[in-house]
Amino acid sequence: MNSTLTGAVALYLAQVRAELSDLPPGELEDVLQDVSDHLTEVAAEFSAEPTLNDLQQRLGTPREYADELRTAAGYPVRTAPVGKDHLDAGWKALRWGLIASIVGPFFIVVGIFAWSRDGTAFFGLLGLGILFVAAFLGVQALRGNDPRIVLDTPRGARGAAAIRGWIEQIPPHIRHELLTIGQPVWWVARGVIGGGGFFALFGAESVTVVGAIAGAAVSIWIGRKTQRDRRWLWYVVPLNVIAAIAVPSFLAAAYAGASFGLFDNYNSYRGSSNYSPPENGLVLNGTQVSNIYPFDAQGKQVPVRLYDQDGNPIGLEVQDCATSYGQESRDTTSNLFPQAVVSPDENGDSGPDNCKDTTKAPFVPPPAPATPVTPSPAPSPTPKPSVGVTTPKPTPGATLTVQPTR
Amino acid sequence: MDTSQLLKGVLDLAVLAVLRDADGYGYDVLRRLRAAGLDDVADASVYGTLRRLFAAGALTSYVQPSEEGPHRKYYGLNKTGHELLARSTQTWNHFADTMSVLLLEKEAA
Repeated sequence: MNSTLTGAVALYLAQVRAELSDLPPGELEDVLQDVSDHLTEVAAEFSAEPTLNDLQQRLGTPREYADELRTAAGYPVRTAPVGKDHLDAGWKALRWGLIASIVGPFFIVVGIFAWSRDGTAFFGLLGLGILFVAAFLGVQALRGNDPRIVLDTPRGARGAAAIRGWIEQIPPHIRHELLTIGQPVWWVARGVIGGGGFFALFGAESVTVVGAIAGAAVSIWIGRKTQRDRRWLWYVVPLNVIAAIAVPSFLAAAYAGASFGLFDNYNSYRGSSNYSPPENGLVLNGTQVSNIYPFDAQGKQVPVRLYDQDGNPIGLEVQDCATSYGQESRDTTSNLFPQAVVSPDENGDSGPDNCKDTTKAPFVPPPAPATPVTPSPAPSPTPKPSVGVTTPKPTPGATLTVQPTR
Repeated sequence: MDTSQLLKGVLDLAVLAVLRDADGYGYDVLRRLRAAGLDDVADASVYGTLRRLFAAGALTSYVQPSEEGPHRKYYGLNKTGHELLARSTQTWNHFADTMSVLLLEKEAA
């Protein structure tokens, strides 16, 4: 059985495959199944796992083995020298595969950092472009050969043997569990995070759950497809590399319970989990301020524009008829106070048809103080206002924390 | 004289012969040939021979799970195989007799 071959046995089989690569594909697979069975039996003769040298002493070199097999089976003598074209194709396909799996994900990771810093998507798109173009060229380089020809190239065979070596480090029962449980879990995880992450990144948070479910379905489908047609590996391996970076990052971010630095761009949360994010708008002692009604020293209502110490307008979202019923964008802000608000009619109705705005204060101000407040003749460079006004963010809709004078 | 050279000509016959009594898978056929005294038989050539005899329609093939785990491909003689074995046996006997007579004459001379 091919799947259970490891180490030197797999390497030996790969070399026999290379020697017989001129056979018609169906015949090649059949005869290699025989060879695989044979090598499994031979390996069992050894008390420990045989080395390549052990196998060569027992069976001859892979070339000698293949020649014996060829003669006895009556296959035509090999005309072309051992798969020159074949090895070239295998190596080209392998090379494009490596570019897709290493260079593509590298630029995508760089791209995500660049994007989180200054919103440029260039590197991310470059990475995706490299990934898919290289994967496409890799599949093209196979020129219709079986994808396994990459294992016949010296680098491919060495790489495969090395990977098998690592896999052998895992105890067999865990290996089995990983394959039967780990693989479906991985398929779902990469699909959920890929699909969900895609929509979340592009600002469609409301459909993130749908995206995650769709992603999982697509991921499972691709996994099944890849098991049947190994050419998909040229796309799947690089995408898995990205998923292998993204899934742990996402889980780590989720575990920390805070937004990851990477996602600041779309996420309004700042800081760590024990810091509750400030609410938008104006806040006085923790209560939302929805409007400001300025009165002058004589107790007369006046319109004013408000600015903070840096000259940034202190504005609120406008909630008049135009914005409430759709003629204006809902997030229009204005720093002209008092702002007009929707005034219900005598029946308490405020429908879109008969909507009226008012700037009249819904209260009667207390009488003006007996001694009118006069502005100090020479204000100090940093005047101490009677109310402390702090603005954490110089943006519209900023938080104002107004503290009472002590 | 190198037995492996001789074997090349008669490997078909030897393989058919060990399959006459019971079906067997590749490695099993190999073991039976060795047990019969054909130590020099090359592993790969036995597998190649089985493959060629099967392609020629002399063998049936079926897969059976083994006790140790892996499935094994068993080969057995069909009608064509039995006929081929009978013909080849005749040819071999004739050849062997001829050779024996030849060698005896040389010795006697």
